[in-house]
Amino acid sequence: MSLPAPTGVFVRPRVRLRPIRVAEIVALLFFAAAMGLPLVFLLVGSFNLASPGQAAIYGLGNWTSAFSDPTTLSALWMSFLLSSVRLIPAMIIAVIFAWLIARTDMPGGNAIEFICWLAFFIPDFPLTLAWILLLDPNYGFLNLLAQKLPWVDGPLFNPYSFWGIVWVHTSAGGIWFKVILLTPVFRRLGASLEEAARVAGANTVAMLRRVTLPVLAPMILAVAVLSFIRGLQSFNTELLLGIPAGIYVYSTRIYDYIRREPASYGEATALGSIFIVVLGALLFLYWRFLSGKRKFTVVTGQGYSVARVKLGKWRYVAMAGCIFYIAVMTLLPLIFLVIGSFMRRYGFFNISSPFTLAHWQSLLSDPIFLVALKNSLLIATMTSVGGIFLYSAVAYLLVSRRMVAAPLLEGLCWLPHILPGILLGLGILWLFLATPLRFIFYGTVWGIAMALMLGDSPVTTQAFRAGFMQLGADLEEAARVTGASWWYTYRKILLPLLAPIAGAVGLMNFGGALTSISIPVLLYSHQSRPLAILLLEYSVTGELERGAALGLLITAIICAMMLIGRKLGLRLSGM
Amino acid sequence: MAQAVLEFRGVVKRFQSVNAVDGVSFAIQPGEIFTLLGPSGCGKTTTLRLAAGLEEPDGGEILLNGAAVAAPKQGVFLPPEKRRLGMVFQSYAIWPHLTVFENVAFPLRVRREANDNIRRRVSQALESVGLGGLSERGATQLSGGQQQRVALARALVYEPALLLLDEPLSNLDAKLREQMRFELRALQQKLELTILYVTHDQTEAMTLSDRIAVVHGGRFEQVGTPEQVYESPASGFVGDFLGRMIALDGTLKNSANGRRVQFADGASLKVDSLPVDSLGDGAAVRLLMRPEDIQILPIAELGPNQITGAIEQVDYLGDRFECHVRAAGALLVLPASKKMRFNAGAQIRLNFDPAGLNLLPR
Repeated sequence: MSLPAPTGVFVRPRVRLRPIRVAEIVALLFFAAAMGLPLVFLLVGSFNLASPGQAAIYGLGNWTSAFSDPTTLSALWMSFLLSSVRLIPAMIIAVIFAWLIARTDMPGGNAIEFICWLAFFIPDFPLTLAWILLLDPNYGFLNLLAQKLPWVDGPLFNPYSFWGIVWVHTSAGGIWFKVILLTPVFRRLGASLEEAARVAGANTVAMLRRVTLPVLAPMILAVAVLSFIRGLQSFNTELLLGIPAGIYVYSTRIYDYIRREPASYGEATALGSIFIVVLGALLFLYWRFLSGKRKFTVVTGQGYSVARVKLGKWRYVAMAGCIFYIAVMTLLPLIFLVIGSFMRRYGFFNISSPFTLAHWQSLLSDPIFLVALKNSLLIATMTSVGGIFLYSAVAYLLVSRRMVAAPLLEGLCWLPHILPGILLGLGILWLFLATPLRFIFYGTVWGIAMALMLGDSPVTTQAFRAGFMQLGADLEEAARVTGASWWYTYRKILLPLLAPIAGAVGLMNFGGALTSISIPVLLYSHQSRPLAILLLEYSVTGELERGAALGLLITAIICAMMLIGRKLGLRLSGM
Repeated sequence: MAQAVLEFRGVVKRFQSVNAVDGVSFAIQPGEIFTLLGPSGCGKTTTLRLAAGLEEPDGGEILLNGAAVAAPKQGVFLPPEKRRLGMVFQSYAIWPHLTVFENVAFPLRVRREANDNIRRRVSQALESVGLGGLSERGATQLSGGQQQRVALARALVYEPALLLLDEPLSNLDAKLREQMRFELRALQQKLELTILYVTHDQTEAMTLSDRIAVVHGGRFEQVGTPEQVYESPASGFVGDFLGRMIALDGTLKNSANGRRVQFADGASLKVDSLPVDSLGDGAAVRLLMRPEDIQILPIAELGPNQITGAIEQVDYLGDRFECHVRAAGALLVLPASKKMRFNAGAQIRLNFDPAGLNLLPR
């Protein structure tokens, strides 16, 4: 018996609009509108002398006024200075941590790695607040303590300074981010390379100096450059600590331009445009560097090294050092965040009954807080769920090899990487102001969620892309050949297999949306104010105790989420 | 001739500007194992993927059971899920989140078969590949050989019109590969399967196939039975790819008592049938032969079709010797049985079987 002839034989010649082509066009249009347009609006807007919503008058006025203002150039300079100065101690500490964890017999290495991982998720804004509680010249606990010493007179520490900002950054997520990135690199170093050095007669120090570090240098350098670029995009710490001391970086300067009355949109966009060009050039060089041969010829040693460096009695010293650093830099501020939230008036330990639950009670019963909590949960849910669907589809398109304009889509996906949060917010603000989109998005939770989702694009797309690449096309094609349609394959094969990645990026983006300040700060209104912005308002209006309570609450939510995610087996990390 | 199960008519597939498949035509008859044999990157896997519908051709026509499933000129393209084919991937592509049973049941679930029907047919399929009793295992708990069988059961369970096998044995160790080869052939004969088989392993191709197509640079160099392509390779590439070939260059000499090829050192060999009649006296030719068709004899032993040579080196390979022989102006590496021992420096005779000599123009 002959088999039934396959159908489709009688299909007439026609231009077939393949679903994948349609998806590609839709994705391109969406990204061009959502990512390309803000950038264009930023650049065009910088030449527009009229305020938004009015007839445009083009000219160079914004640029001349922004750059005739000496504070503009000093803000740019300060951004670079801060980012490079704090990179040095951070890299040294991160390399030491990573090496101790991955390559030595230091006891408790796994536990320390876990703590580093958890510390990475502590949002930087509450942490900065905690350091203010510790170091403020008037009521900072460490300053009060220091004044008890006979030879100290006047405040010893001042967080509202260049070095204060550097210090807080050395305790914030950035350093743990580097440890998380570097530890696997150290671990993956081929065992044979170090063993060969041993056999050739090198002791531990000589081996480290002549083999391990030179071999890993390209990766360490790559992490350093990435950290430098991320440092340039920093906003929160500089906002809390820099502005009181008159130290402006470009992101706080842009914030200042927009928040002043009347708002100077033109100057803000001019400054932003310059920075986009600079960041774009830096990232381009970084990618050129990464795609060069050196990185990949390096860490390809076969087999993981099981033989670890024996530290002898120094291993306890190493462990103590790590624990001390974590205790001072992370635990201490968190403890004072707790204490601060329970003090009637922060810093006044001598008054009768200094401790109270009043701040927690007033926070939790504050209708503004409840609205902000609702907003935050709504925004974070939309951001993470929307991101999962959007970027898994985009990543699928990118790996499918069937795209005509893959480089273009990929480029658009990476755009937020050169757009620091404050500029992304500014670009989106322009987009909303200049188009009818403002009726749905301007000042609403939808607009904030959309901006946050766009900001997640590079990392999320990359994660899904790596997932698809790892799965390989075979698993999908096997399903297609056995008769499953694309949609059936997507539901039954791809989605279940990618669930861990979806869960991980969803959780990371949820946490990111809860803590982000720089993206929503230009987009929120009183109805759509999220928790992080409320925390910012508490901080600038001096309600430190209530701020501490709220900061603690946010930190606790994030850490609990990440711990649950880890228990579920999700691979959560900073990339 | 019966209706061909799969037919390619001048199929072309381009990647960028490279023709990965360059005007390929063939037809597979029911119950036949048709093998695409070639080095990696020759276009054999692309040909298979074109048959599966995982790639779209840029030209030509692909027919399944006489009906066009891909014909870019007519705008016909049937997606893979509508072609009713079974395919085993080189990586097996066992879905790691499903059990063995669910992996094999997937094609039936897609077709919304009734549950008891699914159960019956899955256990039948697992039984036929020798995996009965493992159905509740997680797919990742299986060895390579077992995964291979699951992939096969999954491809067979809905009785596809054609089975596509993409290097199915290449990830197995040598012993298991031999066993699976045997089982695959037995299964094919029992179920009367039609198979398109892709491999780079000539032993696999030789032992399994009814017909072999040797693929090179996106084209078919030769199509024929294993014996045909091995014994009379149509080109130096085919001969070389199927095993070690010895090439001797010379000139053709026609005379009354037959044709001979004369080498640079004056020695000559008689050649039998001539596939190329157009070659005249004095034409530059190349003789291709297999080392096992040349016999090494002591210098005293005269035979019908011989040249003399000298042994330069003898290697002991355990089961046999390998002699490096200087003859006809070339250095030949030839096997010699352990019964005959030759020493380096000895003068010998080489005896050629005229039927094993393939004459090609140079």
